[in-house]
Amino acid sequence: MTDQVILLVEDNPDDQALTLRALKKNQIMNQVVVAQDGVEALEYLFCTGPHAGRNPDEMPQVILLDLKLPRVDGFEVLRCIRENARTRFLPVVILTTSNEEQDRVKGYGLGANSYVRKPVEFTEFIQAVKQLGLYWLLLNQNAPISRSA
Amino acid sequence: MRAGSDTPAELKVLVEAFNEMLAQIELRDRELREARDELERRVELRTAELAAANKELESFSYSVSHDLRAPLRSIDGFSLAVLQDYGERLDAEARGYFERIRAATRRMGMLIDDMLNLARVARAEMRRERVNLTAMAQAIVADLRKTDGSRKVDCIIEENIVADGDAHLLRVALDNLLGNAWKYTSKHPTARIEFGQAQPNGHRVYFVKDDGAGFDPAYAAKLFGAFQRLHGSSDFPGTGVGLATVQRIVQRHGGRIWAEAAVEKGATFYFTV
Repeated sequence: MTDQVILLVEDNPDDQALTLRALKKNQIMNQVVVAQDGVEALEYLFCTGPHAGRNPDEMPQVILLDLKLPRVDGFEVLRCIRENARTRFLPVVILTTSNEEQDRVKGYGLGANSYVRKPVEFTEFIQAVKQLGLYWLLLNQNAPISRSA
Repeated sequence: MRAGSDTPAELKVLVEAFNEMLAQIELRDRELREARDELERRVELRTAELAAANKELESFSYSVSHDLRAPLRSIDGFSLAVLQDYGERLDAEARGYFERIRAATRRMGMLIDDMLNLARVARAEMRRERVNLTAMAQAIVADLRKTDGSRKVDCIIEENIVADGDAHLLRVALDNLLGNAWKYTSKHPTARIEFGQAQPNGHRVYFVKDDGAGFDPAYAAKLFGAFQRLHGSSDFPGTGVGLATVQRIVQRHGGRIWAEAAVEKGATFYFTV
Protein backbone atom coordinates (compact mmCIF):
# COMPACT_ATOMS: atom_id res chain seq x y z
CA MET A 1 0.00 0.00 0.00
CA THR A 2 2.80 2.44 0.78
CA ASP A 3 4.04 2.64 -2.79
CA GLN A 4 0.91 4.62 -3.53
CA VAL A 5 1.70 8.29 -4.01
CA ILE A 6 -0.36 11.16 -2.69
CA LEU A 7 -0.23 14.32 -4.78
CA LEU A 8 -0.74 17.39 -2.62
CA VAL A 9 -1.43 20.57 -4.57
CA GLU A 10 -1.02 23.40 -2.08
CA ASP A 11 0.70 26.78 -2.34
CA ASN A 12 0.76 27.78 1.32
CA PRO A 13 3.97 26.45 2.92
CA ASP A 14 2.37 26.36 6.39
CA ASP A 15 -0.54 24.31 5.08
CA GLN A 16 1.92 22.01 3.31
CA ALA A 17 3.80 21.43 6.58
CA LEU A 18 0.60 20.94 8.56
CA THR A 19 -0.86 18.49 6.04
CA LEU A 20 2.35 16.47 6.02
CA ARG A 21 2.34 16.54 9.80
CA ALA A 22 -1.29 15.37 9.92
CA LEU A 23 -0.46 12.49 7.58
CA LYS A 24 2.48 11.51 9.77
CA LYS A 25 0.41 11.73 12.94
CA ASN A 26 -1.93 9.23 11.36
CA GLN A 27 0.91 6.90 10.46
CA ILE A 28 0.28 7.43 6.78
CA MET A 29 3.73 6.73 5.38
CA ASN A 30 2.99 7.09 1.68
CA GLN A 31 5.21 9.27 -0.43
CA VAL A 32 3.71 12.73 -0.75
CA VAL A 33 4.52 14.78 -3.83
CA VAL A 34 3.90 18.46 -3.22
CA ALA A 35 3.04 20.79 -6.10
CA GLN A 36 3.14 24.48 -5.23
CA ASP A 37 0.60 25.54 -7.82
CA GLY A 38 -1.50 24.32 -10.74
CA VAL A 39 1.34 24.45 -13.23
CA GLU A 40 3.56 22.16 -11.14
CA ALA A 41 0.64 19.79 -10.54
CA LEU A 42 -0.02 19.44 -14.26
CA GLU A 43 3.68 19.07 -15.04
CA TYR A 44 3.84 16.19 -12.56
CA LEU A 45 0.71 14.48 -13.82
CA PHE A 46 1.60 14.78 -17.49
CA CYS A 47 5.35 14.19 -17.09
CA THR A 48 6.46 17.49 -18.57
CA GLY A 49 8.88 20.22 -17.51
CA PRO A 50 10.90 19.19 -14.42
CA HIS A 51 9.02 15.85 -14.39
CA ALA A 52 9.77 14.97 -18.02
CA GLY A 53 11.54 11.76 -17.03
CA ARG A 54 8.72 10.44 -14.87
CA ASN A 55 7.02 7.13 -15.73
CA PRO A 56 3.56 8.07 -17.07
CA ASP A 57 2.12 4.70 -16.00
CA GLU A 58 2.61 5.68 -12.39
CA MET A 59 -0.20 7.92 -11.21
CA PRO A 60 -1.00 9.13 -7.69
CA GLN A 61 -3.51 7.14 -5.66
CA VAL A 62 -5.30 10.34 -4.71
CA ILE A 63 -4.92 14.06 -5.37
CA LEU A 64 -5.51 16.55 -2.56
CA LEU A 65 -6.30 19.77 -4.34
CA ASP A 66 -6.50 23.28 -2.93
CA LEU A 67 -8.57 25.73 -4.95
CA LYS A 68 -6.77 29.02 -4.50
CA LEU A 69 -3.45 28.56 -6.25
CA PRO A 70 -1.22 31.01 -8.09
CA ARG A 71 -0.71 30.76 -11.87
CA VAL A 72 -3.19 27.97 -12.58
CA ASP A 73 -5.96 27.55 -10.00
CA GLY A 74 -7.53 24.37 -8.61
CA PHE A 75 -10.54 24.40 -10.90
CA GLU A 76 -8.34 24.62 -13.97
CA VAL A 77 -6.22 21.70 -12.74
CA LEU A 78 -9.37 19.67 -12.16
CA ARG A 79 -10.64 20.47 -15.64
CA CYS A 80 -7.35 19.32 -17.21
CA ILE A 81 -7.32 16.15 -15.14
CA ARG A 82 -10.83 15.21 -16.23
CA GLU A 83 -10.20 16.06 -19.87
CA ASN A 84 -7.21 13.78 -20.28
CA ALA A 85 -7.80 10.07 -20.80
CA ARG A 86 -4.77 9.06 -18.73
CA THR A 87 -5.87 11.02 -15.68
CA ARG A 88 -9.62 11.11 -16.14
CA PHE A 89 -10.48 8.71 -13.30
CA LEU A 90 -7.92 9.81 -10.73
CA PRO A 91 -9.64 10.55 -7.40
CA VAL A 92 -9.52 14.25 -6.66
CA VAL A 93 -10.36 15.49 -3.19
CA ILE A 94 -10.79 19.25 -3.05
CA LEU A 95 -9.26 20.35 0.24
CA THR A 96 -9.88 24.01 0.71
CA THR A 97 -10.80 26.76 3.14
CA SER A 98 -13.81 27.85 1.15
CA ASN A 99 -17.20 26.53 2.05
CA GLU A 100 -18.92 28.72 -0.48
CA GLU A 101 -21.76 26.97 -2.24
CA GLN A 102 -20.61 28.27 -5.60
CA ASP A 103 -17.23 26.59 -5.15
CA ARG A 104 -18.75 23.29 -4.14
CA VAL A 105 -21.12 23.36 -7.10
CA LYS A 106 -18.30 24.26 -9.49
CA GLY A 107 -15.99 21.61 -8.01
CA TYR A 108 -18.52 18.83 -8.32
CA GLY A 109 -19.55 20.14 -11.71
CA LEU A 110 -15.97 19.76 -12.93
CA GLY A 111 -15.83 16.21 -11.61
CA ALA A 112 -14.30 16.33 -8.14
CA ASN A 113 -14.82 13.15 -6.14
CA SER A 114 -14.98 14.82 -2.80
CA TYR A 115 -14.99 18.25 -1.17
CA VAL A 116 -13.46 18.71 2.26
CA ARG A 117 -13.26 21.99 4.08
CA LYS A 118 -9.96 22.66 5.86
CA PRO A 119 -10.85 23.33 9.50
CA VAL A 120 -9.08 26.11 11.37
CA GLU A 121 -8.57 23.82 14.35
CA PHE A 122 -5.66 21.49 13.84
CA THR A 123 -6.98 18.55 15.88
CA GLU A 124 -10.01 18.52 13.61
CA PHE A 125 -7.70 18.62 10.61
CA ILE A 126 -5.75 15.61 11.87
CA GLN A 127 -9.06 13.76 12.19
CA ALA A 128 -10.12 14.80 8.69
CA VAL A 129 -6.82 13.66 7.18
CA LYS A 130 -7.09 10.36 9.04
CA GLN A 131 -10.49 9.70 7.51
CA LEU A 132 -9.34 10.78 4.07
CA GLY A 133 -6.33 8.46 4.34
CA LEU A 134 -8.37 5.49 5.53
CA TYR A 135 -10.87 5.91 2.76
CA TRP A 136 -8.85 6.87 -0.32
CA LEU A 137 -5.74 4.83 0.42
CA LEU A 138 -7.22 1.70 1.96
CA LEU A 139 -10.89 1.31 1.18
CA ASN A 140 -11.41 2.90 -2.20
CA GLN A 141 -10.50 1.00 -5.37
CA ASN A 142 -9.16 3.17 -8.19
CA ALA A 143 -9.87 2.69 -11.89
CA PRO A 144 -7.04 0.99 -13.77
CA ILE A 145 -4.61 3.42 -15.41
CA SER A 146 -5.65 3.95 -19.00
CA ARG A 147 -2.79 3.30 -21.36
CA SER A 148 -4.34 5.08 -24.33
CA ALA A 149 -3.75 8.76 -25.21
CA MET B 1 -61.86 75.50 -28.09
CA ARG B 2 -62.51 78.14 -30.67
CA ALA B 3 -64.49 81.35 -30.43
CA GLY B 4 -66.13 82.46 -33.62
CA SER B 5 -66.44 86.09 -34.75
CA ASP B 6 -70.05 86.21 -33.76
CA THR B 7 -69.58 84.72 -30.30
CA PRO B 8 -70.67 87.03 -27.49
CA ALA B 9 -67.75 88.74 -25.70
CA GLU B 10 -68.28 87.03 -22.33
CA LEU B 11 -68.15 83.65 -24.03
CA LYS B 12 -64.93 84.67 -25.75
CA VAL B 13 -63.37 85.45 -22.40
CA LEU B 14 -64.50 82.08 -21.08
CA VAL B 15 -63.09 80.27 -24.09
CA GLU B 16 -59.76 82.05 -23.75
CA ALA B 17 -59.65 81.20 -20.08
CA PHE B 18 -60.28 77.53 -20.84
CA ASN B 19 -57.64 77.53 -23.57
CA GLU B 20 -55.16 79.08 -21.20
CA MET B 21 -56.01 76.39 -18.60
CA LEU B 22 -55.62 73.63 -21.17
CA ALA B 23 -52.22 74.99 -22.20
CA GLN B 24 -51.16 75.06 -18.54
CA ILE B 25 -52.37 71.51 -18.02
CA GLU B 26 -50.52 70.33 -21.10
CA LEU B 27 -47.37 72.06 -19.87
CA ARG B 28 -47.66 70.51 -16.40
CA ASP B 29 -48.35 67.16 -17.98
CA ARG B 30 -45.18 67.37 -20.06
CA GLU B 31 -43.13 68.49 -17.06
CA LEU B 32 -44.49 65.58 -14.99
CA ARG B 33 -43.65 63.08 -17.70
CA GLU B 34 -40.13 64.44 -17.99
CA ALA B 35 -39.69 64.34 -14.21
CA ARG B 36 -40.92 60.76 -14.10
CA ASP B 37 -38.58 59.71 -16.90
CA GLU B 38 -35.69 61.39 -15.09
CA LEU B 39 -36.64 59.57 -11.87
CA GLU B 40 -36.84 56.23 -13.64
CA ARG B 41 -33.43 56.85 -15.14
CA ARG B 42 -32.01 57.66 -11.71
CA VAL B 43 -33.56 54.54 -10.16
CA GLU B 44 -32.05 52.39 -12.89
CA LEU B 45 -28.68 53.97 -12.28
CA ARG B 46 -28.89 53.47 -8.51
CA THR B 47 -30.03 49.88 -8.94
CA ALA B 48 -27.08 49.15 -11.20
CA GLU B 49 -24.74 50.82 -8.70
CA LEU B 50 -26.24 48.79 -5.86
CA ALA B 51 -25.90 45.56 -7.81
CA ALA B 52 -22.25 46.36 -8.55
CA ALA B 53 -21.56 47.25 -4.91
CA ASN B 54 -23.21 44.04 -3.75
CA LYS B 55 -21.12 41.98 -6.14
CA GLU B 56 -17.94 43.69 -4.92
CA LEU B 57 -18.92 43.07 -1.31
CA GLU B 58 -19.61 39.45 -2.14
CA SER B 59 -16.15 38.83 -3.54
CA PHE B 60 -14.59 40.92 -0.78
CA SER B 61 -16.26 38.82 1.92
CA TYR B 62 -15.28 35.67 0.14
CA SER B 63 -11.62 36.70 -0.15
CA VAL B 64 -11.50 37.98 3.39
CA SER B 65 -12.83 34.78 4.89
CA HIS B 66 -10.49 32.64 2.79
CA ASP B 67 -7.39 34.73 3.38
CA LEU B 68 -8.04 35.36 7.06
CA ARG B 69 -8.55 31.70 7.82
CA ALA B 70 -5.25 30.50 6.43
CA PRO B 71 -2.99 32.22 8.99
CA LEU B 72 -5.40 31.11 11.73
CA ARG B 73 -4.81 27.55 10.71
CA SER B 74 -1.08 28.11 10.91
CA ILE B 75 -1.30 29.64 14.37
CA ASP B 76 -3.48 26.83 15.69
CA GLY B 77 -1.57 24.08 13.94
CA PHE B 78 1.91 25.08 15.00
CA SER B 79 0.83 25.88 18.56
CA LEU B 80 -0.50 22.36 18.78
CA ALA B 81 2.71 21.08 17.19
CA VAL B 82 4.75 22.75 19.94
CA LEU B 83 2.49 21.21 22.60
CA GLN B 84 2.67 17.79 21.02
CA ASP B 85 6.40 17.75 20.33
CA TYR B 86 7.81 19.80 23.21
CA GLY B 87 4.98 19.57 25.75
CA GLU B 88 6.93 17.60 28.36
CA ARG B 89 9.73 20.17 28.33
CA LEU B 90 7.29 22.98 29.08
CA ASP B 91 5.86 23.79 32.47
CA ALA B 92 2.11 24.01 33.07
CA GLU B 93 2.13 27.79 32.68
CA ALA B 94 3.74 27.68 29.24
CA ARG B 95 1.33 24.97 28.14
CA GLY B 96 -1.49 27.18 29.40
CA TYR B 97 -0.23 30.07 27.25
CA PHE B 98 -0.36 27.90 24.15
CA GLU B 99 -3.86 26.77 25.01
CA ARG B 100 -4.90 30.41 25.22
CA ILE B 101 -3.38 31.03 21.80
CA ARG B 102 -5.34 28.13 20.37
CA ALA B 103 -8.60 29.19 22.04
CA ALA B 104 -8.21 32.73 20.69
CA THR B 105 -7.57 31.36 17.22
CA ARG B 106 -10.69 29.24 17.32
CA ARG B 107 -12.67 32.22 18.51
CA MET B 108 -11.41 34.33 15.62
CA GLY B 109 -12.44 31.57 13.25
CA MET B 110 -15.96 31.69 14.68
CA LEU B 111 -16.04 35.46 14.38
CA ILE B 112 -15.09 35.29 10.72
CA ASP B 113 -17.82 32.75 10.06
CA ASP B 114 -20.42 34.80 11.92
CA MET B 115 -19.45 38.03 10.17
CA LEU B 116 -19.69 36.31 6.83
CA ASN B 117 -23.15 35.02 7.71
CA LEU B 118 -24.32 38.45 8.80
CA ALA B 119 -23.07 39.98 5.58
CA ARG B 120 -24.69 37.26 3.55
CA VAL B 121 -28.02 37.74 5.31
CA ALA B 122 -27.92 41.44 4.58
CA ARG B 123 -27.35 40.79 0.88
CA ALA B 124 -29.38 37.71 0.12
CA GLU B 125 -32.24 37.91 -2.33
CA MET B 126 -35.57 37.54 -0.59
CA ARG B 127 -38.34 35.32 -1.84
CA ARG B 128 -41.62 35.59 0.05
CA GLU B 129 -43.83 32.57 0.49
CA ARG B 130 -46.06 30.93 3.09
CA VAL B 131 -43.73 29.35 5.66
CA ASN B 132 -44.78 26.86 8.31
CA LEU B 133 -42.96 28.16 11.36
CA THR B 134 -44.31 25.42 13.64
CA ALA B 135 -42.67 22.71 11.56
CA MET B 136 -39.49 24.79 11.30
CA ALA B 137 -39.29 25.29 15.07
CA GLN B 138 -39.93 21.59 15.69
CA ALA B 139 -37.08 20.65 13.36
CA ILE B 140 -34.72 23.10 15.05
CA VAL B 141 -35.59 21.80 18.51
CA ALA B 142 -35.10 18.21 17.32
CA ASP B 143 -31.59 19.17 16.15
CA LEU B 144 -30.83 20.91 19.45
CA ARG B 145 -31.91 17.83 21.36
CA LYS B 146 -29.55 15.75 19.23
CA THR B 147 -26.58 17.94 20.11
CA ASP B 148 -27.19 17.51 23.82
CA GLY B 149 -29.42 14.61 24.73
CA SER B 150 -28.77 14.99 28.44
CA ARG B 151 -30.64 18.27 28.78
CA LYS B 152 -34.15 18.32 30.23
CA VAL B 153 -35.91 20.97 28.22
CA ASP B 154 -39.67 21.37 27.87
CA CYS B 155 -40.42 22.82 24.43
CA ILE B 156 -43.90 24.15 23.84
CA ILE B 157 -44.42 24.96 20.19
CA GLU B 158 -47.81 26.32 19.20
CA GLU B 159 -49.54 24.58 16.31
CA ASN B 160 -50.22 26.12 12.91
CA ILE B 161 -47.95 29.12 13.11
CA VAL B 162 -47.38 30.44 9.61
CA ALA B 163 -45.67 33.52 8.25
CA ASP B 164 -45.19 35.20 4.91
CA GLY B 165 -41.49 35.51 4.36
CA ASP B 166 -38.25 34.14 2.99
CA ALA B 167 -38.01 30.53 4.19
CA HIS B 168 -34.23 30.45 4.36
CA LEU B 169 -33.85 33.73 6.24
CA LEU B 170 -36.66 32.84 8.66
CA ARG B 171 -34.87 29.57 9.34
CA VAL B 172 -31.68 31.46 10.22
CA ALA B 173 -33.67 33.77 12.51
CA LEU B 174 -35.44 30.94 14.34
CA ASP B 175 -32.18 28.99 14.57
CA ASN B 176 -30.65 31.93 16.40
CA LEU B 177 -33.61 32.65 18.68
CA LEU B 178 -34.24 29.04 19.67
CA GLY B 179 -30.51 28.35 19.86
CA ASN B 180 -30.15 31.26 22.25
CA ALA B 181 -33.06 30.04 24.37
CA TRP B 182 -31.37 26.64 24.52
CA LYS B 183 -28.00 28.14 25.37
CA TYR B 184 -29.10 30.59 28.04
CA THR B 185 -31.14 27.95 29.90
CA SER B 186 -28.18 25.57 30.00
CA LYS B 187 -27.15 26.48 33.55
CA HIS B 188 -30.51 25.43 34.97
CA PRO B 189 -31.31 21.76 35.70
CA THR B 190 -34.56 22.00 33.77
CA ALA B 191 -35.77 24.51 31.21
CA ARG B 192 -38.91 25.63 29.45
CA ILE B 193 -38.84 27.14 25.97
CA GLU B 194 -41.95 28.38 24.20
CA PHE B 195 -42.57 29.42 20.62
CA GLY B 196 -45.94 30.96 19.84
CA GLN B 197 -47.86 33.84 18.37
CA ALA B 198 -50.12 36.52 19.75
CA GLN B 199 -52.36 39.16 18.19
CA PRO B 200 -52.32 42.24 20.41
CA ASN B 201 -53.87 45.14 18.48
CA GLY B 202 -54.73 42.86 15.59
CA HIS B 203 -51.10 42.57 14.39
CA ARG B 204 -49.56 39.13 14.52
CA VAL B 205 -46.53 38.92 16.81
CA TYR B 206 -44.36 35.83 17.15
CA PHE B 207 -42.39 35.13 20.31
CA VAL B 208 -39.68 32.87 21.68
CA LYS B 209 -39.68 32.64 25.45
CA ASP B 210 -37.30 30.93 27.84
CA ASP B 211 -36.86 30.77 31.61
CA GLY B 212 -33.09 30.94 31.63
CA ALA B 213 -30.44 33.46 32.53
CA GLY B 214 -32.27 36.39 31.02
CA PHE B 215 -30.51 39.73 30.90
CA ASP B 216 -30.53 43.06 32.70
CA PRO B 217 -33.07 45.28 30.88
CA ALA B 218 -30.88 48.27 31.64
CA TYR B 219 -28.61 47.06 28.83
CA ALA B 220 -31.42 46.26 26.42
CA ALA B 221 -30.20 48.90 23.95
CA LYS B 222 -27.06 46.85 23.33
CA LEU B 223 -28.98 43.64 22.73
CA PHE B 224 -29.10 43.78 18.95
CA GLY B 225 -25.77 45.48 18.29
CA ALA B 226 -23.31 43.40 16.30
CA PHE B 227 -20.59 41.94 18.53
CA GLN B 228 -22.29 43.34 21.62
CA ARG B 229 -22.80 40.85 24.40
CA LEU B 230 -24.53 41.08 27.74
CA HIS B 231 -22.81 38.01 29.20
CA GLY B 232 -19.15 37.02 29.51
CA SER B 233 -17.87 34.32 27.21
CA SER B 234 -16.87 32.22 30.18
CA ASP B 235 -20.55 32.20 31.22
CA PHE B 236 -22.05 31.58 27.82
CA PRO B 237 -20.04 31.19 24.60
CA GLY B 238 -20.91 33.39 21.64
CA THR B 239 -19.71 36.10 19.31
CA GLY B 240 -22.51 38.59 19.70
CA VAL B 241 -23.64 38.42 16.09
CA GLY B 242 -26.70 36.17 16.47
CA LEU B 243 -29.25 38.80 17.49
CA ALA B 244 -27.82 41.35 15.06
CA THR B 245 -28.43 38.78 12.36
CA VAL B 246 -32.01 38.17 13.52
CA GLN B 247 -32.69 41.88 13.61
CA ARG B 248 -31.36 42.27 10.07
CA ILE B 249 -33.61 39.50 8.86
CA VAL B 250 -36.67 40.90 10.62
CA GLN B 251 -35.96 44.38 9.25
CA ARG B 252 -35.59 43.04 5.73
CA HIS B 253 -39.10 41.67 6.12
CA GLY B 254 -40.30 45.08 7.20
CA GLY B 255 -40.86 43.90 10.79
CA ARG B 256 -39.61 44.70 14.29
CA ILE B 257 -37.97 42.77 17.07
CA TRP B 258 -37.87 43.57 20.77
CA ALA B 259 -37.30 41.73 24.02
CA GLU B 260 -38.37 41.62 27.64
CA ALA B 261 -36.34 40.04 30.39
CA ALA B 262 -35.02 40.11 33.91
CA VAL B 263 -31.83 38.63 35.31
CA GLU B 264 -32.27 34.91 36.00
CA LYS B 265 -35.96 35.22 35.13
CA GLY B 266 -35.68 34.32 31.47
CA ALA B 267 -36.27 36.34 28.32
CA THR B 268 -38.97 36.71 25.71
CA PHE B 269 -38.14 37.87 22.20
CA TYR B 270 -41.02 39.25 20.14
CA PHE B 271 -40.91 39.86 16.40
CA THR B 272 -43.12 40.71 13.46
CA VAL B 273 -42.41 40.09 9.78
